[in-house]
Amino acid sequence: MNISRRKFLGGCGLLLGGSSGFISSLLSGSGPVALRPPGAREGKEFLATCIRCGQCVEACPYDSLKLFGLGGGLAMGTPHVEARKVPCYLCTNEDELKCIGACPSGALEPVEDRSKVRMGTAVINHKTCFAFNGVTCRVCWRVCPFQGTALVYDKRMRPTIDPKACVGCGICEEACITEKSSIVVRPANSNEGVG
Amino acid sequence: MNAKSPKRKHLKIHTILRRTTAFLFLVLLVLGALDWISWFRGGTTGTRIFGIVPFTDPLASLEVLLAGGVTKPLIWIGAGLLVLLALLLGPVFCGWICPLGFVLDLNETLSRKVRHRIHLKGRKGLPLLEPPDGLRFPLLLFVLSFSLFAGFPLFQTFSPINFLGWGIVFGVWGGLLVLLILCILEWVLPRFWCRSLCPLGGFYSLLGKAAPFRICISKSRAGKTLCGLCTTHCPMGIQVMENFTTKGFGSIADSRCTRCGACIDVCPKTVLTLGFCGKGKPLTQELGPALPCRESSFKKNESCLSGGAHGT
Repeated sequence: MNISRRKFLGGCGLLLGGSSGFISSLLSGSGPVALRPPGAREGKEFLATCIRCGQCVEACPYDSLKLFGLGGGLAMGTPHVEARKVPCYLCTNEDELKCIGACPSGALEPVEDRSKVRMGTAVINHKTCFAFNGVTCRVCWRVCPFQGTALVYDKRMRPTIDPKACVGCGICEEACITEKSSIVVRPANSNEGVG
Repeated sequence: MNAKSPKRKHLKIHTILRRTTAFLFLVLLVLGALDWISWFRGGTTGTRIFGIVPFTDPLASLEVLLAGGVTKPLIWIGAGLLVLLALLLGPVFCGWICPLGFVLDLNETLSRKVRHRIHLKGRKGLPLLEPPDGLRFPLLLFVLSFSLFAGFPLFQTFSPINFLGWGIVFGVWGGLLVLLILCILEWVLPRFWCRSLCPLGGFYSLLGKAAPFRICISKSRAGKTLCGLCTTHCPMGIQVMENFTTKGFGSIADSRCTRCGACIDVCPKTVLTLGFCGKGKPLTQELGPALPCRESSFKKNESCLSGGAHGT
């Protein structure tokens, strides 16, 4: 090596001091808000553990998972679910959650049961939801895999979400018949009040 | 044979082979992603063969360990396999598998050909600069300490190798723009990424420092032409014969050597081969120059160095 030891270490120190603090503050301030695959570790920890190999994307039988591109910023190369396009079907026809089995690094941790998955919580927009505006519509209730626990109908035939039971799979978000979905999953890693 | 008949082109076997293996890796990645084959899955940082045998990029694994702490044991099996391979074979990943290395290799060949054309026409071509060496290790250290202190695997997020993988395998095209810029830049700074920046290459180089698998120099054949074609064709900018001429070693000791075989393919006298020759031992204790012994080395069983030392 042509560079002297002192220069080498000094340069490293400068680079480190300058930028690691900056990025770490960026990361802790606001982790990228995204609906992560089932079993994903919490926001910043997920970014730290995921090796961006894309094996979960390949394992997903429904093509629900996509990798972030340049637009994902620091989350580039990590998987996420765009529920309005293709939600997570929780591998209902499979023996296990395929993405968790495929993950080599442990960024996706095994879950005991599908009902224990916590990708996020569905939130209903009362202004646009048909049921809240006098038209009976049971689409979200019909498709919910935890019908009756996560999504319940009240006496006036309006859907309500139980944040303790909702897994955040987004099947309701995809199914909602209003032009812009009236039921949207708020990802578990978003900072606004979850649960 | 007619002296004027064009010389038959020498088959560049190592070049063909290494491009085939790298291309095959890329093809397998794409076929796996398309679900055309069931036994191969993964991207540039981690693959799985037959659903059982894992391979994970050792640098990615280390970054993740430093950044996130506890991980699945599977990752260590995958990384361990590649570490073992690098300990034994040196940084062969760079020369024979790396998809980015493959693209930049083709890019370099193209730029060489175009340069040659321009040169033949007598025009002044693009400037040709020497990429700085020795930056890879500080960058590697930076990437690793960044993982430790900021808890973020920096290189895995902004690695052009991954950009290429995501672009081709998963259809995330954004990063390919960066690669385009890199390819254009390398027309002026040949192999800038591999030689100067790639922390993964630096990591594999460190692992492969004592690897027995090397480019071996035939002591009896060396020193005949002194053409220096090996050095001008080395993508990593290694003075290929230096270790032999100055120290009398029978192999290339430079840790940057990726065993790509570009030097073997251009050598007119088959001085170089790939093999398990290790670092080798010096021919004699005296360090004599090989240059004056050109003629004497033709004689059988007479070593070049001793001839040089006695002064032909």
